Amino acid sequence: MALIEVKNLVKRFDGHTVLKGINVELHEGQVKVVMGPSGCGKSTFLRCLNLLVQPTSGQILFKGEDIAGPGVDIRKVRQDIGFVFQHFALYSHLTVQDNVTLGLRKLRKMTARQASDKASHELERVGMFEYRHRYPAQLSGGQKQRAAIVRALAMDPSVLFLDEPTSSLDPEMSREVVSVINKLYLENVTMFCVTHDPHLAKYISDSIVFIDEGVVLEENIAERLFYDHPNPRIREFFLGVIDLK
Amino acid sequence: MTPMTPFIRDLAAYWPQILTGLENTLLLTGIISVTGFLGGIAVFYLTVVSGKRCRKWTERYISFFIGTPLLVHLFLMYYGLPELGVRLSPLLVSVIGFTLNVSAYNARYLTTAYNGLDQMEIEAAGAQGFTLPETFRFVILPQALRFSVPSLTNQVIQNLKDTSVAFLIQYNDFFSQIQEIASTNFEFFKAYVLAGLVYLALVSLVVAAARALERRIVLPT
Repeated sequence: MALIEVKNLVKRFDGHTVLKGINVELHEGQVKVVMGPSGCGKSTFLRCLNLLVQPTSGQILFKGEDIAGPGVDIRKVRQDIGFVFQHFALYSHLTVQDNVTLGLRKLRKMTARQASDKASHELERVGMFEYRHRYPAQLSGGQKQRAAIVRALAMDPSVLFLDEPTSSLDPEMSREVVSVINKLYLENVTMFCVTHDPHLAKYISDSIVFIDEGVVLEENIAERLFYDHPNPRIREFFLGVIDLK
Repeated sequence: MTPMTPFIRDLAAYWPQILTGLENTLLLTGIISVTGFLGGIAVFYLTVVSGKRCRKWTERYISFFIGTPLLVHLFLMYYGLPELGVRLSPLLVSVIGFTLNVSAYNARYLTTAYNGLDQMEIEAAGAQGFTLPETFRFVILPQALRFSVPSLTNQVIQNLKDTSVAFLIQYNDFFSQIQEIASTNFEFFKAYVLAGLVYLALVSLVVAAARALERRIVLPT
């Protein structure tokens, strides 16, 4: 059984249909990257999956339960889905350590000591331990994003959603974050990642879901999509990534 | 030895009353600063967390109390309510009137700070599994309070000064005692200069405490 199964997902905003019947599956240990041109609906798609955006219709089966249906405690579901935002969204009044421990103490009901130990362990995992007492404003973009990843990972989610995790970073900081995500990929962390970054897509994906104008044009491995694809829309989109070969 | 001027003599004679007035001023300032602070948080909470209809009412409440003079509320309760058979003490009227007024101002300061927060942090808390009330408690309120410290402490200063209008509803505050001395010896100029200096000294203490608090809570950049 798939960890997440999306069936015929539709999302309309003010009469404009952004997602026109998306069907995608994600299995445990799998990493899928969602790509597509700006405005194609890929971020909306990801936000629909944990109901940050309410879908208009369709099914989102998470561990077999339709979370878009009635009577679902979405709060519990969200605690099982880590979400990393493009602009980090760290709590700016808290240190890195407190950003990580807040959810552990208040949602996972850990003691301060347990939460602190868990946070230290997770921060070490991505090389952020030495920055644990800093506030977000005292970190570089790459460090902020790594802290945001730790905050999500510390909750031990079944799946990690990454919404354009490198888009607001310069190439150097981007490499920092790509290397962390790649490490997670090698550790078999289940992930759904929305990105424009072909480097990231290539290094962390089992397959890439290409969305254009609200529909999945194709799902395939990076090499098949990036180079000489028969579909002119996909070929045009990946025109500049030939140097990744 | 120079003889005491009549003003100093009167001051010495009325000293116990002045001291009581000062105590009453500080008592009222203390009470309304705390109740106004808590009331402001409560109204702010309703503004952020409640449904559309409740939000509309909180907005009306804030607009009403910011848009009408405090003195009208005090007079309405002290002189108006007895016509309906409700008679309240000057202290109670002052506490209720000031609390309603100060809560509205504090709620406005907090709402303004909230509008300046990074809304992504609030969305992130929701994505992590926090409910909106929890997000309010752990993410929104701490930041809104931090950003509002200058406005909130200025409000305490305003409270201290505004308590002087309570003498108009027979509350025996510091200013009412000064007024009494002045009307006894007709040395109005000296009396009001003295009142001004005492208020200035008290406000200076609040300002010093406020600045210390601001330094303490500023986030490193």
